[in-house]
Amino acid sequence: MSAGAAPLLEVDNLHIRFHTRTGIVEAVRGLSFTLGREKLGVVGESGSGKSMTGRAILRLVPPPGEVRADRLAFKGQDLLTLDEVGMRAIRGRRISMVLQDPKFSLNPVMTVGDQIAEAYRLHHKVGRAAARARTIDMLAAVKIRDPKRVYDLYPHEVSGGMGQRVMIAMMLIPEPDIIIADEPTSALDVTVQMQVLAILDDLVTQRGMGLIFISHDLALVSSFCDRILVMYGGRVMETVEARALASATHPYTRGLLACLPQLDDPAATLPTLQRDPAWLGR
Amino acid sequence: MSAIHVDGLDVRFGETHAVRAASFVVAEGESFGIVGESGSGKSTVLRALAGLNPDWTGRMEVLGTAQGRQRPRSFYAAVQMVFQDPFGSLHPRQTVDRALAEPLAIHGLADAEARIERVLAEVQLGPGFRFRYPHQLSGGQRQRVAIARALILEPRILLLDEPTSALDVSIQAEVLNLLAELRLRLGLTFVLVSHNLAVVAHMCERIAVMNAGRIVEELTTASLRAGTPREAYTRQLLLASRGYDRAAAAQFRTFD
Repeated sequence: MSAGAAPLLEVDNLHIRFHTRTGIVEAVRGLSFTLGREKLGVVGESGSGKSMTGRAILRLVPPPGEVRADRLAFKGQDLLTLDEVGMRAIRGRRISMVLQDPKFSLNPVMTVGDQIAEAYRLHHKVGRAAARARTIDMLAAVKIRDPKRVYDLYPHEVSGGMGQRVMIAMMLIPEPDIIIADEPTSALDVTVQMQVLAILDDLVTQRGMGLIFISHDLALVSSFCDRILVMYGGRVMETVEARALASATHPYTRGLLACLPQLDDPAATLPTLQRDPAWLGR
Repeated sequence: MSAIHVDGLDVRFGETHAVRAASFVVAEGESFGIVGESGSGKSTVLRALAGLNPDWTGRMEVLGTAQGRQRPRSFYAAVQMVFQDPFGSLHPRQTVDRALAEPLAIHGLADAEARIERVLAEVQLGPGFRFRYPHQLSGGQRQRVAIARALILEPRILLLDEPTSALDVSIQAEVLNLLAELRLRLGLTFVLVSHNLAVVAHMCERIAVMNAGRIVEELTTASLRAGTPREAYTRQLLLASRGYDRAAAAQFRTFD
């Protein structure tokens, strides 16, 4: 991030709560971070509030969820007070989101090419032919071998890895500044996962985008991202440079790392995580 | 006598040749791992072993007895299975007590009361869990119930199909520790299927690597840890399991 320029995203003291029959559930409590043109990993176990954070940035927290923050700004523009029309200009165009499973996130009755072209035409005033050409270029950019053929395939005709590349193509084609990727590769096989990450890595780096990579996989995130936010119970436990993860100080981060079985370092029994109520500030 | 002897196992689903001439032997008390990516046929091997998939050809011997398509009741008393998804494998409207009592009723075993209490203690769930419904349990607790249900018939072989891949890593550690401890204490034989090399290496002494329906290689955990597999496919899988590496990802290819 260049000095003096406003960061891509500023989040200050974000709270997300749900009023339910059994009381108030606080999904996120007082989360703050800024994002530059970097790869930021958000790591946590289920229920840590990591996915809700991604949704809150796009104001997509479903009712009865209630979002409050001291500041939520994209390039200095306040997202909390922006009207719906303004928000639609942000979603997809400036900040887009890649979801976990292409099987459920693609429209099953529309060819993958038409879906990508639709995403482009929604934000750019171009004709069908131009959008088609742009889509085929984009499919090639995500390393799909025969983009002209794949354009006319339906989601059920493509593999999981290819489906996820289609999703990435769809999210990148409006040329957003920020991509929020929520477990983008968790449904994929490990080798395919690495190939998809390589594509995401190249595109994010070449186009100078900011990436928020939400994942449960601490080891993967540490090898992929620049900086990691470790979340637990809706709070940030610590922020670490990915490279320095091994020297992380917070007991939760250390506990999460320790309980993973290691290929290089066999252990008879895995250390289990001892949760401390003090982490939640109670 | 080996616990499991599979020779030339073939499974077809219509046009799809899911398992192609798979052969392996598991000694009694051993923990044997099967790794592979999705569609490699690893779960199909396990399901065929468990008798859940009757359409197979080849030879299959379990505890010295040749197995056919239909399995006698005594087979299920000796061989039990734990499934991947603890949210799908427990009946939502049955209490833990009912889920555990059912295998006992089927096999006509007496003293259900004592057996249920004992098996719950074995999976480290207190008696307070006995009359709960699955929705009142966390994912880790449900998987413990699924393990208890498998153990209640006092089997000698446990077939484990991705037993921890639906769980958070901290819960995974607890469940893996429990399984390892049970195996040691009860002298069980394990066949563990997983896509996660580190989990299989942690739990097993010997590992079969599957790709496109074939066992491409069988190797010891020591050889896997040392990074000296024979097959290029296994080496690639190992490399991919070590985290993201831009240069390595560029060289990955498809094996079939």
